[in-house]
Amino acid sequence: MAEDQKKRVLLVEDAGLVRMYYREALQGAGFDVDEALNGIEALEKLLTAPVDLLIVDVNMPQMDGLTFIRTLRRQTPAIASIPVLITSTESSPQDIHAARIAGANFYLTKPVGQEQLVLHARILSGCVA
Amino acid sequence: MPLIRRGAPEAPANVKDDRDSFALLTGGTDGERWGAARAAATLPGGVEALGAALRSETDARVRTAILTSLTRVATPASVDAVLPCLRADDADTRTGALDALRAMPRAVLPRLPDLLSDADTDVRILSCEIARCLAPAEATSLLCDLLDRETDANVCAAAIDVLAEIGQAGAEPALRRCAKRFPQQPFIGFAVKVALQRVSVQADDAG
Amino acid sequence: MPADVPPVTGEEFRVLCEFLYRRTGMVFTEAKRYYVQRRVTERLQATGFTSYAHYFARLRADSGDEIEQLINAFTVNETYFYREEHQLRCLTSDLLRERIRTKPRGRPIRIWSVPCSTGEEPYSIAIWLLENWPEVDAYDIDIVGSDIDTQVLDAARAGVFGKRALMHLPPRLVNQYLEPLDGEQWRIVEDLRQSVSFSTVNLVEMAETRAHGRFDVIFCRNVLIYFDDASRRLAAENLYENLEPGGFICLGHAESMSRISPLFDVCRYADAIVYQRPMEGARG
Repeated sequence: MAEDQKKRVLLVEDAGLVRMYYREALQGAGFDVDEALNGIEALEKLLTAPVDLLIVDVNMPQMDGLTFIRTLRRQTPAIASIPVLITSTESSPQDIHAARIAGANFYLTKPVGQEQLVLHARILSGCVA
Repeated sequence: MPLIRRGAPEAPANVKDDRDSFALLTGGTDGERWGAARAAATLPGGVEALGAALRSETDARVRTAILTSLTRVATPASVDAVLPCLRADDADTRTGALDALRAMPRAVLPRLPDLLSDADTDVRILSCEIARCLAPAEATSLLCDLLDRETDANVCAAAIDVLAEIGQAGAEPALRRCAKRFPQQPFIGFAVKVALQRVSVQADDAG
Repeated sequence: MPADVPPVTGEEFRVLCEFLYRRTGMVFTEAKRYYVQRRVTERLQATGFTSYAHYFARLRADSGDEIEQLINAFTVNETYFYREEHQLRCLTSDLLRERIRTKPRGRPIRIWSVPCSTGEEPYSIAIWLLENWPEVDAYDIDIVGSDIDTQVLDAARAGVFGKRALMHLPPRLVNQYLEPLDGEQWRIVEDLRQSVSFSTVNLVEMAETRAHGRFDVIFCRNVLIYFDDASRRLAAENLYENLEPGGFICLGHAESMSRISPLFDVCRYADAIVYQRPMEGARG
């Protein structure tokens, strides 16, 4: 992808190694990647520069992923409409249901492989490449 | 500059009398419950009252104040009052409990071996995160023990992430054994590789 | 660089970056490696450590004030007039407008500078408002500067400053709001000194913070970043109580509320990110 057409992804995840693993895969697939440790840092970044896709963990310090998504969906349309892919260790039907209610677009249960991540990131960010 | 003036009169902060605190802790408005939660840390019987209030509190900010008061006390009893929240269904409650437990590392340490062996996978994952607040030697020892017996890849991943941040060089054998046990999980292989590089630059004593 | 401290390796650099990111939110890319290395090497020299490994262990043990010293090495922790001018612009272009929208007539606007150190920040706020806020004559404005250190407060009350503190203040404003003492020092004019009040406060002492009442805007720069988790929680709750519902708190440029507390809402204005105590009855 040309630089100006690159889709931008914000990883919202507190595990440093997961951020590295996801970043490696997404950059390799042509995404522009930024990171946030929790929902509050993600909001700070989004309010400065919106992105094309959010990849969000559930359990994070200070602001968890579901509270983050609920807050996100109350922002102005440009930010509220950003698609969200949840990746979480929580795998029960009620966890997935809670994420849907909060406003997540899709839910993957960890551990998530790099190919699986890139595939879903492409679809959810509207990437035709 | 007459219009900037010194010491304008001000309304005193809205603080309720301590006598009413425990009743307000569960029965007041949001503001009253907040004030009562903050006051309870220094009152006799405060930990029990805070623990009871924590179980029924639905407002996120009041819950944060309850948890902060429990972290101010920072005793085994206050840790025990917080622990049930690690099993909560909603992520906000779990996150709040985790942050509170990490703010009282000395008090939480005696409970960690049991937590890291809990029957619930989610509790074990969160307990690895609690270990992030410990001294490197304590965290390394607890998490290496866990790695050698843990069968869930996500629990191992959580432990490896913490080891990569604060683990000591003594973690290397346990990390290598863990990678061998999950050959079908590419993420574990990746995480162990990075963690091995990271622990190699950490000192083995707290010197 | 002395011979007894080897260059920081790639892995050591990444360990340190992850530590600083997790704790403070500060991000250093590979491009900043030389800069980071220089600062860390200075700290090793100052503390007498000869290996990064042992220095990291000391940092993690959080013993003494080494974390504060290291963070200081990465942030220009110098106080001067009109420092972080973008926040002052935000104050007059957005925050005060927002505050007076819901404030009953006749109530004063209250602004708190904490910690205020030797007074550059509260005096800057006063001068900025007089120069840049058209409503300045329509409201009683109460500016309070507070610090835990009584010595810096004495200096703040005296209001005497040197060239370095005044380097970013346009000469016209220096002439208007300060009087020369000699070639090297200037004193804040009497009227302006009288318009800012000073007090001692420890941000983790609830009784002390509560005695200051509620404010519309709090400038709390470069202090919470140094606190441990337990103190951050306590200070954040104290500051929350010190804000009027709908009031704002501004942190230092290297600080983020994401590492401190979930109590406040994030607000983005043209000139700054600030944090707001929600209005009473608001969702969230």
